[in-house]
Amino acid sequence: MWQATFTKLGQTLLVLLLVSVASFSFLKLAPGDPVTIMLGSDYSKASYDQLTQELGLDQPVIVQYGHWLANFVRGDWGTSYITNQNIFELAVFQALPVTLTLAAFSLLIALVIGIPTGVMAALYRNSWVDVLATTLAIGGNAFPSFYLGIILIWVFGVGLGWFPTLGFVAPWDDFWQGIWHLALPAITLGAWYVGLIARITRSSLLEVMGQPYIMAAKARGEPGWRVVWVHGMRNVLMPLVTVIGLQLGGMLRGAVMTEVVFALPGLGMMITSAVLNREYIVIQAGIMLTGVLFVVLNLMVDQTYQFLDPRLRRRK
Amino acid sequence: MSHALDLSAPNQAASWRRRFLQPLMRQRSAVVGLVIILAYVFAALFAPWLATHDPTAQDLGAALQGPSAAHWLGTDSFGQDLYSRLLYGAQLALIIGFASVALGLVVGVAIGLAAGLIGGRTEWVLMRIVDGLLAFPELILAMAFMAVLGLGTENLVYALALSFVGPFARMTRGDVLQVKSQPYIEAARLMGVPTLAIIWRHVLPNVVSPILVQAGMRVSIAILLESGLSFLGIGVVPPTPDWGLMIAEGRGFITIAPWISGIPGVALAILLVALNLLGDGLRDAFDPNTQKDA
Amino acid sequence: MNQVSVLAQSTLGESNTEASLLAVRDFSLRRKQATVLDRITLCLNPGETLGLIGESGAGKSTLAMALIGLLRAPEVEIEGSLCFRDTELTALKEADFRRLRGNKIGLIFQDATAALNPCFTVGKQIAEPLKRHLGLSATACRERAVDLMQSVGIPEPRLRLDAYPHELSGGMQQRVMIAIALACNPELLLADEPTSALDVTIQAQIMTLILDRVRALNSSAIFVLHDLALGAQVCDRIAVMYAGQIVEEGPSRRVLDTPLHPYTQGLKSCVVELGMPTLTPIPGQIPPLDAMPSGCRFAPRCPKAQAICSEQRPELQTRDERQVACWFID
Repeated sequence: MWQATFTKLGQTLLVLLLVSVASFSFLKLAPGDPVTIMLGSDYSKASYDQLTQELGLDQPVIVQYGHWLANFVRGDWGTSYITNQNIFELAVFQALPVTLTLAAFSLLIALVIGIPTGVMAALYRNSWVDVLATTLAIGGNAFPSFYLGIILIWVFGVGLGWFPTLGFVAPWDDFWQGIWHLALPAITLGAWYVGLIARITRSSLLEVMGQPYIMAAKARGEPGWRVVWVHGMRNVLMPLVTVIGLQLGGMLRGAVMTEVVFALPGLGMMITSAVLNREYIVIQAGIMLTGVLFVVLNLMVDQTYQFLDPRLRRRK
Repeated sequence: MSHALDLSAPNQAASWRRRFLQPLMRQRSAVVGLVIILAYVFAALFAPWLATHDPTAQDLGAALQGPSAAHWLGTDSFGQDLYSRLLYGAQLALIIGFASVALGLVVGVAIGLAAGLIGGRTEWVLMRIVDGLLAFPELILAMAFMAVLGLGTENLVYALALSFVGPFARMTRGDVLQVKSQPYIEAARLMGVPTLAIIWRHVLPNVVSPILVQAGMRVSIAILLESGLSFLGIGVVPPTPDWGLMIAEGRGFITIAPWISGIPGVALAILLVALNLLGDGLRDAFDPNTQKDA
Repeated sequence: MNQVSVLAQSTLGESNTEASLLAVRDFSLRRKQATVLDRITLCLNPGETLGLIGESGAGKSTLAMALIGLLRAPEVEIEGSLCFRDTELTALKEADFRRLRGNKIGLIFQDATAALNPCFTVGKQIAEPLKRHLGLSATACRERAVDLMQSVGIPEPRLRLDAYPHELSGGMQQRVMIAIALACNPELLLADEPTSALDVTIQAQIMTLILDRVRALNSSAIFVLHDLALGAQVCDRIAVMYAGQIVEEGPSRRVLDTPLHPYTQGLKSCVVELGMPTLTPIPGQIPPLDAMPSGCRFAPRCPKAQAICSEQRPELQTRDERQVACWFID
C-alpha cells in the first residue's frame, strides 16, 4: 500500500511543478511591463535599471523561475501594490479559510439533503417522489449559481429578511453569527452539489440493491432499513466520493461566483478583484494556490478510495 | 469521465441515423431538452427580425420600466429594451458556447491524436502539458487567460477554448490508445494499408463519436462559464447584450426593478437545464455501461 | 419417532402436520401474469434431506426464495399454504418472518462471491445473524464466529475473521456462506445450488461439509440441484420439478433406480457415464413462462404424450412409494 502512495506522491509533485511553471508563465505573459507599472508615470532610466535589477528581471527566465519558486515555497509572495498587504497573509490566512469554510459547509448541506433524497428516489423508483427528486436534482445542477444566489438574496435576504445578505463572519470567532451569514451562500453553492449527489446516490443505490449480497443480508433476517443504510449505502460511498472528487472543479467555480455575489472575502473574490484591478502578482498567487489546493484535494480523494473499497487495498 | 467505445464495428461512418437519432429519441427528457434548445436556436437565428429595438440603443428617459406595450419585457437602467437584449443574448450565448467548444475540441483532439499516435517522447511532453492544464479548475484557467488576453467577446471565446483543450486532449489520447490496441488495426497494418488511411478510416471514426457526445455536454459548461465570467465583469464588455452581464447590471436594482436580473436569469437557467437534459440523454443513449431505469 | 416410520408415513402421501417440519400444500406463485410455481405440494420431516431437481427455469430457486420469504406478496401473487412447524408462512407478518430468517431457516446462495458484501469483513458478516437473533455481545459473537468457521473447515479462523471476502478463494467463500447460514442452528437449511459455482474438485468437499453439518445439527435441508445423480446420492428424498410443477417425488434411491415419470427418465438418461455409446438428450426446451401449455406441461417434449396430456393436467398419484404426475405410468 505504501508503494502506491509514494508513486502517487511523486506524480503529484510533478503536477505541482507543472502548476508552478504554468503560474510563473502566466505572469510572464501578462501584458505590461511590471517595472513601469510600479514606477508610475515619471521615471528615469537609472531608476528603471535599478528596479529591474532589484526585481531580478534582467536574469534569464529559468533563473527567474527558480527564484520565484524558491520565494513561493518560503512564503514570500510579494506585496500587493494596491492594498500594500502581504499577499501570502492575504491569500493563505484570510482568503483561503473563507473559501474552505464555505465549501465545507456547502458540501455538508448538499450531503445532508442529497443523500436521503437519492435514497428515497431509489427506493420509490418511478413514483412521484422519484420524479420530483430527479427534477430538483437536474434543476439544481444546471441552475447557474450566481443567479440562484441573487434570487436567494432577493427572496430571503431583502424580501423576508431572514438572513443577512452580505459579508462574512468567521464561525471560529462567533459560531452562530458565522453560520447565519454563511447560510444563504452555502445553500447557493450546495444546491449545485445536491443535484449531483442525489442522482449518483439514486443510480448507485439502484445498482447496489440488485446485488446478491443485499438478498443475502435480507436472508439473514436483517431489517429493511439496515439493509439499505448499512449494507447498501456502504457500497454507494465509493461512487459518491468519486463523483464529488471529479466535480471539485465545479465546486470551485460555484464558490467563486457565490463569494462575489455574497461579498465573501475568499479566494474567488481575491482573484476576481485582482483581475479587475490588473494586479498580476495577486492573480498569480491566487492561481498557484488554487492549483495546489486542487491537486492536494484530488490526492486526498484518491487516498480515500483505498479506505472505502477494501478490494483496492493491498494486504500481505 | 469514462465511457465505452463501441469497438465492434471498425467503420462507424455508416447509418448515422440509426446510431444517433433513434436511440436519442427514446429518451423523453432528452427530447424535451432538444426542443427547448431548438427554440433558443430559432430565437437566436432570427433575432434581428424578432427584436423590437436595437439591443444597445439607450433611452434614459425610459429606464427602469416594467413590461409595457413599447417594451415587451421592460427596460434596464440604461433604457435598453430587455426583450431585444434577451434575443441577442441568446445569440451570443449560443455562439460563444459552440465556438469555444468547437475550438477547444479541434485543438484538444489534435493534441490527443498526436500524443496517442506518435507516442514516445512527444507523447510524454504533450501529456505533461495537458496535465498542467488539467490541474486547474476550468474557471480559474479561463480567468487567468482573460487577465492575460484582456476583455471582450473574442477573447472570451479563446480563453474558454483554451480551458477545454485539456479535457479533450486527454480523452482523445485515451481513446486513441484503446483503438490502437484493437486487433483490426493490427490486421490492417499487416495487410499493408498505409498509416494515414488507417487513421482516417479506422481510428478517427471510433474516436470521434464519444468526443462529440462530450462536446455536446461541454456546451452547457461553456455557456455557464461565459455568463459567469461576464457577470464577474471579466467576460464581455458592456453594452454587449450578454445574459450574465445583464444579471450583473440588474443587481443594484433588484428591489425596484427585479426583472432586469430576473428575466435573463430565467432564460439562462432554462437553456442550461435543457442542455443538461440533452447531454444526459446523449450519454445514456450511447454509453452501454449506463443502466437505463425506464 | 424414528426415521423409518416417519418416512413410511410421508410416502403414503399424507402430510402428518404434527410430525412434519415443512408442509407445502398447493402452493402457487404468480409473477406478472406468469405462473412460476403451480400448485406445489411437498412435505419435509425433521432431520430429512430433500433434493429439488430440475433444469434452469424450472422454478426451484423461486421456491427456495419463497420458503425463506424473500419472495412474498405483494410483489408476487401467492396461493396455497407454506407451513413451517405450525406457523403459516404466507400469513406471517414481515417482522415475524424476519425473526425466522437466518435464525430458524437458513439459506446458502449459489454464488458466494456475489453474496458476500465486499465492504465488510467475513467475521462481521458471520456475526450479524448471531447479534440479531441470539443477541450475543460483540466478544461472544467473535468467539462463536471462530467456532463456526472452524466447524466449516476454514483454517486459521482467528486470522480469517478480519479478512475481506475478496481475499478468500471461492471454496473458502462458500464455507463462509455455510457458516453464516448455520450460525443460529437453523431447523431448516435451504441450499440453492451450493456447488455450481465451484471447481469440480471442491464440489464434493463442500457437499460433504454441508451434509455433515446438517446431520450434526439434526436439521432438515432442501438442496436445490440440477444434477439428478448428485441429488440421489446426497438426499433422502427427491422431488423432480419441471416448469414450475412437481412431476415426481419419492425416496431418492427409488426415483433414481426406477424413474416413473417420463421427464425423470429423460433426466436419468442425460447423465453422462463412462462407456456410454450415445447421449440421449431430452428434445426441446422448457416453454417460456408466459406461454405455458395447458394440461401437462411436459407433454410437448414427452415421448409418451397422448391427446389427454395436452388437455388435462395430471394430478400426483401415489405409486410404488412415490408421488408421480403422469397419465401413463408403467
